[in-house]
Amino acid sequence: MLGLLYAVVGGGIRAGTPILYATLGEVIAERAGIVNLGVEGAILAGACAGFITTAHTQNPWLGIAAAALAGGAASLVHAFMVVTLRANQIASGLALMFLCLGVTSFVGRPYVAVKINAVPQLAIPGLSDIPVVGGLFFQHDALVYGAYLLAPLIWIVLTFTKWGLALRAVGERPDVAFAAGLSPAAIQYAAVVAGGILAGLAGAHLSLAYARSWVEGMSNGRGFIAVALVIFATWHPLRSVVGALVFGAVFALQLQIQARGVALSPYFLDMTPYLLTLAGLLLWGRTRRYAMPEALKSVFEGVT
Amino acid sequence: MIRERMLIPMVMVCAVAVIAPGLAAPLEAQDKKFKVGFVYVGPKDDYGYNYEHDRGRKAVEAQLKDVEVMTAENIPETAEVERVMEQMIQRGAKLLFPTSYGYLDPALNVGKRHPDVVLLHAGGFKHSSNVGTYWYYIYNPMYLSGLAAGKVTKKNVMGFVAAHPIPQTLQNINALTYGARSVNPQIKTHVIYTGEWCNPGKAAEAANSLIELGADIISQHQDCPRPVVETAAKRGVYSVGYHSADLKQFNEKGWITGAAWNWGKLYVQMTKDVMDGKASQWVGKHTRGGIESGFLDLAPFGSSVPADVQKMVMAKRKEIVDGKYAVFQGPIKDNKGKELLKAGEKPTFDFIEKMSWYAEGVVGEVPK
Amino acid sequence: MVALARVIDSRVLVQLRLLGMAGLAFVVVGAFLVLFGKNPLLAYAEIFRGALGTSYGASEVIVRAIPLMLCAVATALPARMGLVNVGPEGQLHAGALAVTWGALTFGALPRPVFLPALVALGLLGGAIGAFVPALLRVKVGVNETISTLLLNYVIVLLVEHMVRGPWKDPMSFNWPYTPEFPDAARLSTYWGTRIHAGLWFALAAILLFYFTLRFTRWGYELRVIGDNPEAAGRAGIPIGRYTLLAMSIGGALAGLAGMAEICAIQGRLRPGISTGFGYTGFLVSWLALHHPLGIVVMAILLGVLSVGGDSIQISLGLPYATVNIITSLIFFIVLGSRFRRRATA
Repeated sequence: MLGLLYAVVGGGIRAGTPILYATLGEVIAERAGIVNLGVEGAILAGACAGFITTAHTQNPWLGIAAAALAGGAASLVHAFMVVTLRANQIASGLALMFLCLGVTSFVGRPYVAVKINAVPQLAIPGLSDIPVVGGLFFQHDALVYGAYLLAPLIWIVLTFTKWGLALRAVGERPDVAFAAGLSPAAIQYAAVVAGGILAGLAGAHLSLAYARSWVEGMSNGRGFIAVALVIFATWHPLRSVVGALVFGAVFALQLQIQARGVALSPYFLDMTPYLLTLAGLLLWGRTRRYAMPEALKSVFEGVT
Repeated sequence: MIRERMLIPMVMVCAVAVIAPGLAAPLEAQDKKFKVGFVYVGPKDDYGYNYEHDRGRKAVEAQLKDVEVMTAENIPETAEVERVMEQMIQRGAKLLFPTSYGYLDPALNVGKRHPDVVLLHAGGFKHSSNVGTYWYYIYNPMYLSGLAAGKVTKKNVMGFVAAHPIPQTLQNINALTYGARSVNPQIKTHVIYTGEWCNPGKAAEAANSLIELGADIISQHQDCPRPVVETAAKRGVYSVGYHSADLKQFNEKGWITGAAWNWGKLYVQMTKDVMDGKASQWVGKHTRGGIESGFLDLAPFGSSVPADVQKMVMAKRKEIVDGKYAVFQGPIKDNKGKELLKAGEKPTFDFIEKMSWYAEGVVGEVPK
Repeated sequence: MVALARVIDSRVLVQLRLLGMAGLAFVVVGAFLVLFGKNPLLAYAEIFRGALGTSYGASEVIVRAIPLMLCAVATALPARMGLVNVGPEGQLHAGALAVTWGALTFGALPRPVFLPALVALGLLGGAIGAFVPALLRVKVGVNETISTLLLNYVIVLLVEHMVRGPWKDPMSFNWPYTPEFPDAARLSTYWGTRIHAGLWFALAAILLFYFTLRFTRWGYELRVIGDNPEAAGRAGIPIGRYTLLAMSIGGALAGLAGMAEICAIQGRLRPGISTGFGYTGFLVSWLALHHPLGIVVMAILLGVLSVGGDSIQISLGLPYATVNIITSLIFFIVLGSRFRRRATA
C-alpha cells in the first residue's frame, strides 16, 4: 500500500509537470480575460521547436529556450486574432491548435529519427539523500522543479505586484482599467504570450525530458486538460498545482492499478479529472469567491 | 475596400489556374512500372513497427528496379485507411501492404472491390481470394531474450509496456516470461496497456510506473518503443528491445537483447512473386514461420550480458531453428493454474493465434 | 423582392467573398512550401486532382462532408441564439453509443423497423449529450462552452470503455471493437461508393435549419434572443426553454452524424469513428457565419482538403499535415476578416 502511494505521488509529480506548465500559462491568459484553447498547439510548437533545436545543437538548455519562444510565438497569433481583430476566442483557439498540429508535423518530420541529448536528471544535493522523500521530490529533471517553483512565483506576481494588479484589472473590468490609464490590449497581449511561453515549456518537458523523442501530435490532449484544470483550480496558480497533481496522480494510479493486475477499467479513472471539474463548476459556479474573471464571461456567454 | 475587391478576384483566378491543370491531367502515370503501396499506422521513423516495415519497403525499392513504391504514414486504423488504399489503387497500385493489425477489415473490403489487386496483411486472422496474411512468430526471439533477462535481473521483476492485449502481444509477454522463468523461477512480469499504438508520454509514464513497482527489466510491444527504452536508460534499468535492433543506441548501458524484424527479403520475394503472376503463393491463406525464415531474429547482445549467458541463449536459438524446441508446448498452464495443454500435447494453429491468457509468472488477468 | 435581393446580396456575396479569401490561405501556404523547397503548384494540383479529378475522390469528398455538415449545424443552431456548443464531438459519440446499444440489443428486427429505430436512437443519444449541459446552464448557471468541452472527453472515454469492455467482439481476440452490426442495421450506400443515406440527413438538416430560422416564429424568436437576450427576456420569450431545445436539437443532429458513421461507414462501434468531425464541424459553422449555405460550401471545401491530403502524401511524399496548415489558415483569415464582424454584428 505504501509502495502504491509512493509510486502514485512520484508519477503524479512527473506526469503533472507538463500539465502544470500549461495550466499556469492558461491561468495568466484567462486572468487577463482571454481564453486560449490553442494551448494544445502551443505545447506542440514548444515540443517540436525544442526538439529540433536540441537535435542541431545537442544542448537541451537551448532547446528549452527555443520551446519557450515557439510557444510564445504560437500564442502571439491567438493574441493578434482575438485582441487586435476581435475574433471569437474559442474558434481562434481551435484554429491555432490545427495550425500548430500542421506546422509541427511538417517541420518536425525529418527529426523523428534523431537522437538527442536530453534534459539531465538533477538530484538536489543533500535533499535527494533523505530516505523516501528524497527519491520522491528531489530526483527529477530541472523542468520539474521549475514548474513547482513557478507556481508560487506567478501567484506572488499576480497577487502582490503592480503588473499582476493591472492584469487582473483588465481581466475583471477592461473599461475601468482603460479609464485608469492602463492599456488593456497591451496587457492582454503580454498575458497571452506569457501563457504561450509556459505552454512551450510544457512541450519542452514532453519532448526533451519525459519521452525524449518527437512524434507528431505527441501532446495527446494535455492542452485541453489544462483548459479544464484552470476551471478546476478556479483561476488560481496555487490551486493549479493541486489540480495538476491530482490529474497526474490519477494518471499514475491508473497505470499502477493495471501493473498490479487489478481488473478495473482505466477509462473510468481517466474520466475523473473532467468529472471533478464539472462537479467543481456545479458547486462553485455561483460562489463569488470562486467566480471566473468578469471579462471571460463575455467569451463564455457567446457574445462576441 | 477597393484593394480588397481587387484581391479576391485575383486570388480566385490564381486558384483556377492552379486547379485546372490538375483536373486536366490524367491520374494514372503513364510509365509501365509495377506499383506497390505501403500503408503505416504511425511515423516511418519511429524506431519500431513502422520503421521496420519501411526498411522492408526500402529494400524493395533498392532491389527491384522496375517497381515504383508509394507510402502513406500516420493512417488511423478506421475507415480512413480504406480511402488511402483506394487512392493508391487509383494511382495504379497492384500490390498493397496494409501493415497495421487494425487494417485487416478495411483490407478485406478493398479487396472485395478490386479483385485484380493483391493485398498482403501483416498478422491478420482472416483472408480472401486476393487477400493473404503473413506473420513470423517473433515470440521466439522474445523467449530467447527472456533467457538472458532472467540471468541478468537482480530484482526478479520484469515490466512490459503493451498497446493492446491482442494475441501477438500475449504471445510475446508469455514467451518472455517463460524464457526468464526457465532460468530463474522467481521472476514475475507486470503488464501495462496504453491502449494506443503510439502515445509517447503515456508509454514513458508506463515504463516509469513499472520501474517504481520494482522492475529492473523493461520490455514492450507497441509501435514507438523509443520513449520506453529512453526511460529505462534514464532510470538505469535494463531494456529488452522489440521491433528494431537499432533501439540499442538509446540504452547502450542497460541493453540486454531483443526481438528484431528484417522484412526486406520477404517483401522483395512477395513483390517478385506477385509481378510474376504467382500471387497465389501468398493470397487466400495465412503464411507463418519463425526464426528459420530469416525475417526476424534476436537483436545483438548488450555488454550487460555475460559471455556464458550469450552462449547458452545462442545454443537455445539453434535448437529452435532446428525444430528441436518449441516455446509453446504441453504442459501449459495459465497463471490461474488452469491446464490448457497436457504434457506432450502440441499447440494447434488457433491455440497460438487466438491466445488470450497469461502464463504463470505474469501478474493479473487479460483485460476483458 | 427587395428583401430577397438584400438576402442574396448580404449572404451569398459574403459567402463568395469568404471563398475568395480562403484562396489567400493557399498563397500563404504556397510561400511556406517554397521555403521548404517544395513546389506548391504541384502540391495544389495534386490536392484537387486527388479530390475532384476522379469520381472516387469526389465521392469521398461528399462522404467526408456529411458528418461535417451535421456537426456544423449542431454548432450553428445554438450559436444563432448566442450559445457556444463546442460539444458536437461528444454528442456524435453519444449518438453512436445509443445506436450501438440498440444494434446489439435488437439485432433480430426487420430492416424497415430497425433502421428508423436506430436513427431515433442516434438522435436521442446526441440530444441527451447536449441536453445535460443545456440543463446545467439553465438550472445551475454552468457555462455551456466549458461543460460541452469537458463532456467531449467523458463521452469519448465512455466509448473506449464500452468497446474494450462490455461490448467487445468476442471474435476480435481483444481488438477493441464491437461485433459487426447485422445487415438490417446498415444504411444504404449508393453508386458503388461510400456515399450513404446520411447525405439525405445532412441535407435535410441544412434545409430545416434554413427554413426554421427564416420562416417560423420559433426561428424568429431564437434570433431575437441571439441579438438581444435582455430584450427577448423582457418580451416574454422563454430563454430557458429555447436553450434546452436549441442545444438538444443540435446535439441530436451530431448524434445522427455518429449514427451514420457507424451504420454506413464502419459497420460497428470502435475507437476513432470520428477524426475530429465535431471540432472541425464547429469551425465549419464559424467559417460559414452559422449560415446554412455557407456550411455546405465550407464542409465540401474541407472535404476536398482532407481527401487531397492523402493524395499529396501518396504522390508527392508531402505530409498530410500540409492540408491542416491550409485549413487552419483559412480559419484564421475568415475569423479575422471584416466580413465576419459585419455579418454577425
